[in-house]
Amino acid sequence: MAILSSPAEPAHPVASRGGIRRLPLGLLPALIFLAVFFAAPLLINLLESLRGPGETHSLAQFARIFGDAYYLTVIGQTLLFGLVVTLACALLGYPLGYAVARTEGTFKVVLIFLVVTPLLVNVVVRSFGWLVILGGNGAINAGMRALGLPKLNLIYNWTGVGIAMVHVLLPFMALSVAGTLETLDRRIEEAARVLGAPPHRLFWHVTLPMSAQGLITGSILCFTLSIGSFVTALLLGKNSTMVLPLLIYQQLTVASDWPFAAAMGVTLLILVSAILWLQGRLVGEPRGRP
Amino acid sequence: MSKLPPALTVYIVIMALFLVAPIVVVVIAAFTSGDFITFPPQSFSVRWFDKVLSDPEFISPLWNSVRLGATATIVASALAVPAAMALVRGNVRRRRLIESLLLAPLSLPTIILAVGLLFFTAQIGLGASFTSLVIGHVVIVIPYVLRTVLGVYMSANHEAEDAAKVLGANPLQAFWHVTLPTIWPGILAGGIFAFLMSFDEVAVSILLSNTDTTPLPVSILSYLVYNYDPSVAAISTIQIAIVILVLLILERVFGIRNVMFASR
Repeated sequence: MAILSSPAEPAHPVASRGGIRRLPLGLLPALIFLAVFFAAPLLINLLESLRGPGETHSLAQFARIFGDAYYLTVIGQTLLFGLVVTLACALLGYPLGYAVARTEGTFKVVLIFLVVTPLLVNVVVRSFGWLVILGGNGAINAGMRALGLPKLNLIYNWTGVGIAMVHVLLPFMALSVAGTLETLDRRIEEAARVLGAPPHRLFWHVTLPMSAQGLITGSILCFTLSIGSFVTALLLGKNSTMVLPLLIYQQLTVASDWPFAAAMGVTLLILVSAILWLQGRLVGEPRGRP
Repeated sequence: MSKLPPALTVYIVIMALFLVAPIVVVVIAAFTSGDFITFPPQSFSVRWFDKVLSDPEFISPLWNSVRLGATATIVASALAVPAAMALVRGNVRRRRLIESLLLAPLSLPTIILAVGLLFFTAQIGLGASFTSLVIGHVVIVIPYVLRTVLGVYMSANHEAEDAAKVLGANPLQAFWHVTLPTIWPGILAGGIFAFLMSFDEVAVSILLSNTDTTPLPVSILSYLVYNYDPSVAAISTIQIAIVILVLLILERVFGIRNVMFASR
């Protein structure tokens, strides 16, 4: 059914005549709420970051960030970490999303449960789970000891944070890929198969290009979520894996340096906005997380 | 399962193990009888559940989280449902733009929102209070309710609604007797999902809570920073159990694949 009509031409004659014209009022509460409690706080964050001594404005906080090798390194490793995690999620998550989309019945529901449950179990709990698995006295090192092998240092470094972060973000990638594959016209693949395309060519020349949108959306999602999350780095990295959001958190809670935290928040916001803009260029409007 | 190539099936099994590993490990560790977290535990008991369930240090955060999630979900639904209806049926110009604006909180790392709200609530005198927490969580969960209700309402049949109006129902009657029953599954599914997202949220919770309003994830986090005993595994297991229970309800009410793929 053509429910989505163009704005100028309502699909339902009644809608344009009667009291329905009042309905856009329905948009006001949500829009006002978000203007006050979403847009305004971001603006206040910006103002706070520009606050100079007394009543003046200055870029001093930003000069502090961009004039210091340490903060530049943190920004650099935040981005690099996001990139590596995103690549890992794309490689590991695509086949998973493919399987979710291409199975039916009970098995499909089981697969979706498998993907969605970790997504909804708290990130603190999951990080704790990884501590139990990867820690010095954890499950993996218990196995290593039993085999007489040397202890592996898997936590309080990038390896541990990376493993836990891939675990956090993999479901987003899988669901994004599955979402695109679900809506694909299977007849195109069928046509390629009937016309004699071997499975690998079918995949590289038909399925993958047609699901590129899901892959790109999933990647952008993984990247923005990974450069914005601090819990995993806090618990599995302690202070050896500093990333920008963790630094913001520490500036607020430990150093109580609000203007500096605000400036770092604005920096993160600019990075994320740039990526979302890139997404807009690549695949049209952002689809958001599942 | 038959349609997947064998190699992919093997891969899925490995990925499934990877996905459930940290969850299963926490649950098993919670049933230890020892004083320390070891994996696998030497012997089993439920003593840590007894301890946690009688310890206000864990029970009041659990209650805080449930209260916060429920309040945020109800407020977000009250805002998102009329918005979704207006977007579908109203003569809304720039529909796409407004929809993106309403969904914008999805794309932003919550730490940025949390920092902004911290400054904002401090300035308007709310500070770190339950109200501030609810406000932050409502912003975060509005998109989840909006998307599912949009999905359901867009594919719904609007003729019954129009007929009710033609037959003389006032807008409220038409909404209550015709529209609401139609979109109810969407509200329910979106609401359940919103609750789970609020239950899961850390950044806003950690910056805007005080000692009386600490939500569960924050209390687990701060406990973990200083302690590493099995009580944290026990309370985590309770959190996991709640999530799985809610997911099963979601599956029964709405079908989980519809929730995951209903958005567009």
